Amino acid sequence: MIIWVMPDSGARSKEDYAELLALFKQAHPEIDASVRVFTRNVLWRRMFTIKNPAHGEEVPDLIQIPHYWTSLLVKEGVAENLSLLDPGLSLASCLSPLKEHCYQPGTKDIYSYPWWFDLSALHYRADHLKLVSSHPEEDLQTWNGLLNICEALREHFSTVPNYFPIQNSDWRGSLSMRSALPCIWSSGTDFLTPDHTKTLVATKAFKDGLRDYVVLALNNYMPILRERGSLGTMMSGKASMMISRKQGISTFSARRGMRVHTVPVPATGKESCAYLSGMNLAINRLSQHKQDALTFIKFCTRPDMQVRYAGMIEAFPAFEDAFEQFIFSSSQRLSTYTQILASARTLPNLVIVGSIMEILKKILAQSAAAIVEDRFTMASLDKALDMAAKEIEYLLSINEG
Amino acid sequence: MFDKKSYTLYKFHKHLNQSFQNKRELLECALPALRDLFKLDRVYFFDWRKDRSLLSLKMMCKKEYCMDMQEDISVANEPAFLRALVHNGVAETTDLSYPALYLLLQWERPSVELRNGEIHTFMQEKVGVLRLERFRKNRLFSDTEIDMIKALGQEISHNLRNTEIDQAQNQRLNVSTALNDLSTIFASSLRLNDGLELILQGVQRYFRFDRVRLFLTDAEGKKIRTVLGVGLSGTVTHQESNQVSAEEAQIFKEVFNSSATYRAVRSVLYIPLKVQRNKVGVLTFDNIFSRRQIGYLDFISLQQFASQMALTIDNARLFERVQELSNYDELTKLPVRRYFNEKFAEEIYRSKRFDLPLSLIIMDIDWFKQINDTYGHQIGDWALQKVSQTLRSCLRQTDVPCRFGGDEMMIMLPRTNGEEAKVIARRLKEKIGAIVVPDRDGNPPRRLSISQGISTYPQDGETENSLLEKADKALYVVKARGRGDFALYRDVAEEAETLQPRENDKKEETEK
Repeated sequence: MIIWVMPDSGARSKEDYAELLALFKQAHPEIDASVRVFTRNVLWRRMFTIKNPAHGEEVPDLIQIPHYWTSLLVKEGVAENLSLLDPGLSLASCLSPLKEHCYQPGTKDIYSYPWWFDLSALHYRADHLKLVSSHPEEDLQTWNGLLNICEALREHFSTVPNYFPIQNSDWRGSLSMRSALPCIWSSGTDFLTPDHTKTLVATKAFKDGLRDYVVLALNNYMPILRERGSLGTMMSGKASMMISRKQGISTFSARRGMRVHTVPVPATGKESCAYLSGMNLAINRLSQHKQDALTFIKFCTRPDMQVRYAGMIEAFPAFEDAFEQFIFSSSQRLSTYTQILASARTLPNLVIVGSIMEILKKILAQSAAAIVEDRFTMASLDKALDMAAKEIEYLLSINEG
Repeated sequence: MFDKKSYTLYKFHKHLNQSFQNKRELLECALPALRDLFKLDRVYFFDWRKDRSLLSLKMMCKKEYCMDMQEDISVANEPAFLRALVHNGVAETTDLSYPALYLLLQWERPSVELRNGEIHTFMQEKVGVLRLERFRKNRLFSDTEIDMIKALGQEISHNLRNTEIDQAQNQRLNVSTALNDLSTIFASSLRLNDGLELILQGVQRYFRFDRVRLFLTDAEGKKIRTVLGVGLSGTVTHQESNQVSAEEAQIFKEVFNSSATYRAVRSVLYIPLKVQRNKVGVLTFDNIFSRRQIGYLDFISLQQFASQMALTIDNARLFERVQELSNYDELTKLPVRRYFNEKFAEEIYRSKRFDLPLSLIIMDIDWFKQINDTYGHQIGDWALQKVSQTLRSCLRQTDVPCRFGGDEMMIMLPRTNGEEAKVIARRLKEKIGAIVVPDRDGNPPRRLSISQGISTYPQDGETENSLLEKADKALYVVKARGRGDFALYRDVAEEAETLQPRENDKKEETEK
């Protein structure tokens, strides 16, 4: 059985997957399983060629997918109907925000099964922020408050080489659409209207939300397109804050003497929003090992494995029992994330959402390059969004939401 | 004897001396070898985008394995680093706290000495950048090591370049095989539409587009008639012209009216299908969902294929038109006898195979010769047209009428027994009986009437000839009884077998 996954633990991903596979093989020695790690970009492209494999091209049995790819894979005929494979399969104990992303829209047929999820939040070094603010949690409630703190931190650490107030958590070291989502939602807007018939990408609120995020790089508060190894981290003292979807508390706790606080992502508009991103597992319809793949899914969703794996990759379990066990095991985790979870939003499970993300990702990549080369203007960003809106309208017209 | 450098180079060369399917396979072989040779902690491979001074991380190699990675590093603001990298082929990092070396992987053709003694390098291409890191022991790279790394880098560059060339050649081969396969589909398809559906599915499968669509024009090449499409699901969809959005219809017009060989609107490519001035349709393809770029080779190949496709569609349409003309009677627009006979034989075969009834009606217009003589041939033709129109409007889709000759017509009624055939015959009698011949010269108004003879498979006969014969005999019975009616053979069999065609009928037959 071949499993295609993403590098969820960055450079440590292979080690983490090797550990997970070792546990699986202990429980199911009869199943031969191997893992291939692909970046999200590569995996996205492969989702469109998987159905027509070229000569000698590997066909996966199980695929890790972001939750909002489910309906696309159903439409393509790539994802197997899990309810057919096992009619007893249920999502009853799955956390409710994740459920609707597992079905073929409009049906109760399960096409992908939740594995884990993450939530965006702002982590900050208490010792650093104490130097510039007497009430950091209060100041960090708004985006302007965050920008003021960034400015103050930069001034305070002006003698520290290569210091940035915010550590860039994006693996590509660029502007990330997933990190921008809380800013956009907090501005009171979204990709699409609530009935999913029109796009809001060209609206002022959307543009403002994206601008707020871009400002972090534009004002040099957050490094972009820099050699990762050359950049300091919060732990090394070369950064003070990080907007991340990894909950990270255990990492920070491991560093003796360094207290890291976690708060909701500052609100660009009326209220703060967090991005809840689920990771699901889908079985390839062309697979010759569908029952083995299903066994792996059931293994990964066992409560003990949910807790263990979530701990390994700094994410959250997707099922109620495991989630409660995980979150109640740390009072800090419980108090921090209860509030953030309440404000969490997610991307809808629509066929075109992945395509919209690709369109906007490209705009952010162009913006990042323009910022580094000192030729970025907000007007160029707005223009790119206007063009994107037309493309999205076309996508909507051919896909009916 | 080899010195150490030559020996290492030789070993490395031998290590890479194999066929790699793609860059990834090659790097998975080369990077670990480098790591082991120089006791590196990590080796990274970047794509080099010179136009944007961007290093785009593709793969990382550490410990025992390699892994896909993604990271973009802009070196636009580091002119010293860039200069060193481009001119020396190596550059040390300016801001890492541990030893790390960037190596430009550059492919070049062997230099050539010109007549004037100048040494000239004709082709040079940058194929990527490696970053070699030693962060555990902070051991610096010595000059000897850097020399060796550069030499091995050249070996990797050449292999990368060769692999790219192999890949491109394989891709070309795949494309030409695909196009060849697609071309043969046309030849093996009986109907144009079946062929087109297979072609579109094939184009999507081979070229892996998200959508492939074919807009076909009407016979005049002015309007969209239909749109065939294959989407993400791989199934073929049909759209009528009224289902095409106004925006797309406008694009279609513009593509046709322009002399350009293609048009890109948003992420969709439109290629007009024209044969000389004849506009056949538009082929469009896109990666609208995946947002993947369409390769240049794919585009060019499809453009060439499109002209072949246009020609084939045009030929097929012409063939269909010719077939239509030869199968249908010009005056009545009913199928001709030859076409009817083919269909009749097919239907008898089907009825035998699946044990189904089948009926045949032979009819002619009563006193047709008199109508011609009294009202003129134009009215005679008009009568034939009115009768054939009535036949077409009264019959079912599956029924096949035909003009057998003169005023004689036949109707094949598949899956119809004798009693059902009589119902149809009655309906025809009433409808045609209501047609009044136009009076131009003060002649008395006259209604048309028809006589019909019916035979049924299998009761009356099991072959085409026997059914024709029985229906014909039933028709003579009707005529003998005074015309304007219908009869099923088995109802009048006794009378039909004793009756000889009347003299005046024979005479009329010969005059037709």
